[in-house]
Amino acid sequence: MRSERWTYKLPLRIRSIFHRQTADQELDEELRDHLELKTQQYTSEGMTPQEARRAAVLEMGGIENRKEECRDARGIHFLETFAQDIRYGFRMLRKSPAFAAIAIVTLALGIGANTAIFSYVNAWLIKPLPFPQADRLIVLLSHDSKKGWTSNGVTSTADFFDYEKQNSSFEQLVPWTSWYFNLTGDGPPDRVLGGLVGWNFFQTLGAQPLLGRTFLPQESQLAASHVAIISRGLWESRFAADPRIVGRAVTVQGETYTIVGVMPANFQFSLMGTSNMWAPLAMDDKARHDRSTSWFEAFGRLKPGVTQQQAGADLAAIASRLEKLYPQTNTNETTLVSTMLFEIGKNEGTQQVIICFWLVGLVLLIACANVANLMLARASSRAKEFAVRGALGAGRLRLVRQLLTESLLLFTFGGAAGALFGIWGVHWIENAVPDRIRGYIVNYGRGTLDVKTFAFTFGIAILCGVIFGLAPAFGSSGFGANRSLKETAGQISGSRVTRRLRNLFVAGEISLAVVVLVCTVLLVQDFAHMVYGDIGFQSRNLMVTELVLPPAKYQTDAQIRGFYDQVLTGIGALPQVESADASEFTPFSDSNQVRLIHVVGRPPAGPGEALGAEYSAITPGYFHTMQMVLLRGRALEPTDGPDSRKVVVINETLLRQQFPKEDPLGQQLEVGDNHDICTIVGVVRDTKLFNLTDRPMRQIYVPAAQFPSAQMSIVTRSSRPSTEAASVIRTAVWSVDADQPVSAVRTMDDLITERNTPNRILAQLLTFFGLLALLLGAIGIYGVTAQSVQQRVHEIGIRMALGASSYDVTRMILAQGLKLALTGIACGLLAAAAVTRGMAAILSTVKSSDPITYIVVAAFFALVALAACYIPARRGSRVDPIVALRCE
Amino acid sequence: MSKPSDLVQGTLDLLLLKILALQPLNGFAISLRLKQVSGDVLQVSDGSLYPALHKLEQEGWISAEWKTTENNRRAKFYSLTRPGRKHLEKEADNWGRLAAAISHVVQLKET
Repeated sequence: MRSERWTYKLPLRIRSIFHRQTADQELDEELRDHLELKTQQYTSEGMTPQEARRAAVLEMGGIENRKEECRDARGIHFLETFAQDIRYGFRMLRKSPAFAAIAIVTLALGIGANTAIFSYVNAWLIKPLPFPQADRLIVLLSHDSKKGWTSNGVTSTADFFDYEKQNSSFEQLVPWTSWYFNLTGDGPPDRVLGGLVGWNFFQTLGAQPLLGRTFLPQESQLAASHVAIISRGLWESRFAADPRIVGRAVTVQGETYTIVGVMPANFQFSLMGTSNMWAPLAMDDKARHDRSTSWFEAFGRLKPGVTQQQAGADLAAIASRLEKLYPQTNTNETTLVSTMLFEIGKNEGTQQVIICFWLVGLVLLIACANVANLMLARASSRAKEFAVRGALGAGRLRLVRQLLTESLLLFTFGGAAGALFGIWGVHWIENAVPDRIRGYIVNYGRGTLDVKTFAFTFGIAILCGVIFGLAPAFGSSGFGANRSLKETAGQISGSRVTRRLRNLFVAGEISLAVVVLVCTVLLVQDFAHMVYGDIGFQSRNLMVTELVLPPAKYQTDAQIRGFYDQVLTGIGALPQVESADASEFTPFSDSNQVRLIHVVGRPPAGPGEALGAEYSAITPGYFHTMQMVLLRGRALEPTDGPDSRKVVVINETLLRQQFPKEDPLGQQLEVGDNHDICTIVGVVRDTKLFNLTDRPMRQIYVPAAQFPSAQMSIVTRSSRPSTEAASVIRTAVWSVDADQPVSAVRTMDDLITERNTPNRILAQLLTFFGLLALLLGAIGIYGVTAQSVQQRVHEIGIRMALGASSYDVTRMILAQGLKLALTGIACGLLAAAAVTRGMAAILSTVKSSDPITYIVVAAFFALVALAACYIPARRGSRVDPIVALRCE
Repeated sequence: MSKPSDLVQGTLDLLLLKILALQPLNGFAISLRLKQVSGDVLQVSDGSLYPALHKLEQEGWISAEWKTTENNRRAKFYSLTRPGRKHLEKEADNWGRLAAAISHVVQLKET
């Protein structure tokens, strides 16, 4: 029955939408026909044709009205009027291009900033890793239940194999560790970053090779482990994209490896950082049974249907069994699980992205408030138009709908422009990321501009369009035809509701802007303190290059020492070089080592209470070359040779933490797993190691002569920054050993800049958001003041006619604007005080309640507001009373 | 005599459906028939006739067709659809009950 009715209704609907003209014509014809017949009838009854016609029309009661009613009956009113509203909206925007431009640009900035930041939220927090069923990828973390310490890496090698055998939750567990490969033969020696990985690494991730194959199970046996997989980048740069690369032999660490596969360009395992080469992680039986040390990390893929919690409980049960079996090594040790996505997000400034996301949200609110204000201002100057339309029969709902359509139109344009601005923003951020750190960042530092991102963009545009579009609709609730029509043009004062709403918007907008400004000023200040603060050494004119000697060639400590002595002597003799020294690990490089330490004579550390310190073996002149400040005792000397008493230099953080009241000099430290006993001979200043934003950490330095290492970085202080120094340094190394790979010679300043880039990008973004908030706030207060002056021209005229000076008028208008601004600023400061408390954790050098920041922001904002009000105030003071009064 | 009271809401639809149930007619003929069947008691202005017809058409109760009349004019003829006929029966029943109830109330003896 219903469906049958629709067979009649549907064609009519279709006709009225798509054949509106035919329908109108037929309606016309039908009514005309009726009139003619009626006229005929009346004529035949004896009326004159004119009378008959008139009577017929009268009986119909207004042809046009009837037609409108018939059209209404067609019931597609909504679509039709919507189209009409849009056409009208377009016309209105075209007619006031300045308003449209300001509103759209404001919205584009607000929405664009949100789009750009959201694309990172999307890439880092929402979009799963580029692996199939990435939610099943779980990272293992070792946890010390007594100290509450959690760290990457398995508890020990033997533990890992126990977990692998005994667990029932994982399809696979995969060990992996970052690794350097010295590539020689085919061209200059090269140091390639990569990893040693379990044979099932690629398989478990679900990554397919571009060429060749991934590893086989038997390749994790030491004997068969001389195979390698390389990245597409390395394949192209070093092997000229050789199509027969698979099966080709390369020399790695002086031994022959066979390349078995090439991974595609988009393959990325962010936890490992930039990696271009992978070889199987293989070990002998002795290493497999080591239960005291750990040197690799692990992740796994959950069996389908197993939850993270179940897997965690499973591993915890195994851990407590191991704890009972091996109390010596496993007391308090357990293993926690975390999703890979979360672990990657943790590394890469997720917190900063979330802060940015909040801030841009606030900026968007400010932008919307601004646009709503503009629309309110327009609505009140259009009061007359609306009154006329109301008088002509437009219903209140119809007028509200039209205002809403206009607002939506504006916000949609703003959204489209914002999307473009957002894409540009993402490219800007992307290009600002240096290649060296790109590998650590999810999705190589690219934002994700996908459907989700743009759905978000237009979602917020339309949501804001509706919410803020309703404001003028309520603001102009009057629509009172009588009042508005009586008022003369130029005299229309916005209704009281409108004025209140506008003031509310501006005050709210200023409050939000103050919150944004306080947050950004705190963060940027913190950043600046760290960047321009003390890094503990002089980075200017310092150059770094890393060397790893192949163990096959340099087997004894004496050989290693001999090589480095020769190289340092060679480089030190170069005319460009002031001094050259070596250190196992240097600040801002890609590697470091933490060794356990213990102060001899103190009670042994309880299980899991051991102290760790950043460790490095250095040559005697290292502190001098780095220009590090010695606080106490002496630096390491050439006399601290392999046969003399072992010595160590500690940093001030270690001094502060472990020897707050005693003299450390002469005390002894037990260092590392070999339990070397070293006498403390000096104390140096802290240096930053990884980032300018590092918190202080314990550091120790030992003489390289006593703790030889095949891996050393040469630090060279030259008299001037020079690129030619880089090449002579490499030549100097090769003159000692022509086969020795040398990493690129980098200046320390470059390394620091690269490491610091994410923070710098963040600081630049924050500065931009802060300024944007300030600008929008200023525009808001300017707009309201200007509008109020325009509306009060008449009143000002009267005041001046009665003797008010232009100074009085200026003061009156300024006072009014300032009152609004100060209210906003006060509310903003209170809100900022509450909001910034949540930021305390990420501020390391500034207190979140730093009073100076608050005072400066408030004062600055007040000044800006004053300037913004001054322009309209001045215009107001120039009102000519005669002109103003004549308007009437 | 005072003006006849306005048609009770919805009754015009009922009248139109009933008239069209007898035979398909064009707008002008419907207006004549209305006057004819109800005498002058129910005055339906030509003005309200057409919107009502168009509404019924949109509702699917009646359908329209352009036909040539006996004196060679093109005119829009309305006829009742099958769903329209069912609707009419239902509405007529409702009307009967309503009218009975109202007349019952109106004829109550005042005490």
